[in-house]
Amino acid sequence: MASNKVLDKKDITKLAFTSMFLQASFNYERMQAGGFLCAQLPALKKIYKDDKEGLSAAMKDNLEFINTHPNLVGFLMGLLISLEEAHADRNTIKGLKVALFAPLAGIGDAIFWFTILPIVAGISASMAIEGSIVGPIIFFLTYVVIFALRFVWTHLGYNLGTKAVGTITEGAEKIGRAATILGCTVIGGLIANYVSIAVAIEIPVNEAKTVMVQADFFDKIFPNILSIGYVFLMYYFLKQKKVSPVVLIVCTFVLAIVCSFFGIL
Amino acid sequence: MEITLMQGIGLAIMAIVVGLDFWLEALFIFRPIIVSTLTGIILGDVQLGLVCGGITELAFAGLTPAGGTQPPNPVLAGVMSVVIAYITGQGAEASMALALPFSFLMQYVILFCYSTFSFFMKGADKAAEEADVKGVYKTNIICSCIIAALYGVIVFLCAYAAQDAMKALVEMLPAWLTHGFEVAGGILPAVGFAMLLRVMLKVEFVPYLLIGFVIACFLDFSNLLPIAIVGVALALLVYNIEGKIAAVAAQKTVVEEDFDDGI
Repeated sequence: MASNKVLDKKDITKLAFTSMFLQASFNYERMQAGGFLCAQLPALKKIYKDDKEGLSAAMKDNLEFINTHPNLVGFLMGLLISLEEAHADRNTIKGLKVALFAPLAGIGDAIFWFTILPIVAGISASMAIEGSIVGPIIFFLTYVVIFALRFVWTHLGYNLGTKAVGTITEGAEKIGRAATILGCTVIGGLIANYVSIAVAIEIPVNEAKTVMVQADFFDKIFPNILSIGYVFLMYYFLKQKKVSPVVLIVCTFVLAIVCSFFGIL
Repeated sequence: MEITLMQGIGLAIMAIVVGLDFWLEALFIFRPIIVSTLTGIILGDVQLGLVCGGITELAFAGLTPAGGTQPPNPVLAGVMSVVIAYITGQGAEASMALALPFSFLMQYVILFCYSTFSFFMKGADKAAEEADVKGVYKTNIICSCIIAALYGVIVFLCAYAAQDAMKALVEMLPAWLTHGFEVAGGILPAVGFAMLLRVMLKVEFVPYLLIGFVIACFLDFSNLLPIAIVGVALALLVYNIEGKIAAVAAQKTVVEEDFDDGI
């Protein structure tokens, strides 16, 4: 086993760095496959040295369809490279890759796109709107830290070797659920803060009194009720009617302009 | 105000860098909050960049490439919202809405690349067959360079070459139309959030959405941190309770099995 060791810590750190090329040749046929192979090539070359056949087999396997999460892919690469280094059976390596890339994508999307991004974007955008440069700086620094974590995932994957597989498939669902709960709570808050629909209609009752539809009616029922109502309407169209987001954006646009023309909004 | 040739070139170079970052999803400097701020710096009006960046970022919060679907392009939205506000003097919300067509344009360009880059995979297969490491690098480099060039050219054309046409167009707009753009800017985040919810929301998660919404409605505070902390608390609560339920259920089945054995 020890004699198989050809990679040192530096190689794994390099692998974490090259993992950022995951999407360098993204396409609809194989998605991230080209970049996935590209990122691992320096390590694979070191493992297979002059064994052209072995290298070619590994290259062909890694050119098969893959679509996982860019921020977490280092973990998968580290894990697979540790198996390549141990010259594990090709089918084991391939099977592991196929078993893991989708759960990783699921966790990654839940954590990075649906939890961290809304929170960091919401906080830093509210600062930027008030004219503070601190907003974008916080945003940038957060993502520098997230990028730095790639080095942690990759070493983790390499060190855990095959031991990690059980842990990650068991934990994926629970972690994903917890992240989704957090994400949903924050999105609720974002809807209240950042979707603004204000009805401009005023109905004159008599000379002394006019009813402002927004302030006297909707706000008395519940503040932001139109905002959350519109979000659910859009959700209904997206989920139940499978309407494309682009259509909804265009419709919203047209609706806003028509309502503006008639003085409704 | 006018954009000079130097500023146009500066914007194109910036677009190449952040565009490549969007392609690779590496550092997230492609998000409107960063792109608009950088645009503001290049145009010499940081404040404008910050305000446009904040507004555009929120509208794009839900438009993510999660799950492999390409959203309207955040780079073009970030650049053009500031450029339009700078040239025409429109407010940030209206500028964000006016920048959307540019964002869609780039989205379609990228979608076209996703499809056509499939052809490069044949070459990569051949390289793999021959264990040709350089061939694989070449495929990846060519694809990335095409993307970089597209960003540079398109941003240069939109921001510099088309500015007079844009200004003339906006000056023609009547007040109800520009107000309509502002209204649209206020509502558009709803589509973004609905996109997020389409992927995330199941019936069991609705309570958390409502809790977050109600707290934010009545909490007069400038950022979302308190709500995020409530979210963490709820997530931990559920995580713990579910852990306990699972443990109890496991115990129960063990006891039942014992009982069966006894009979």
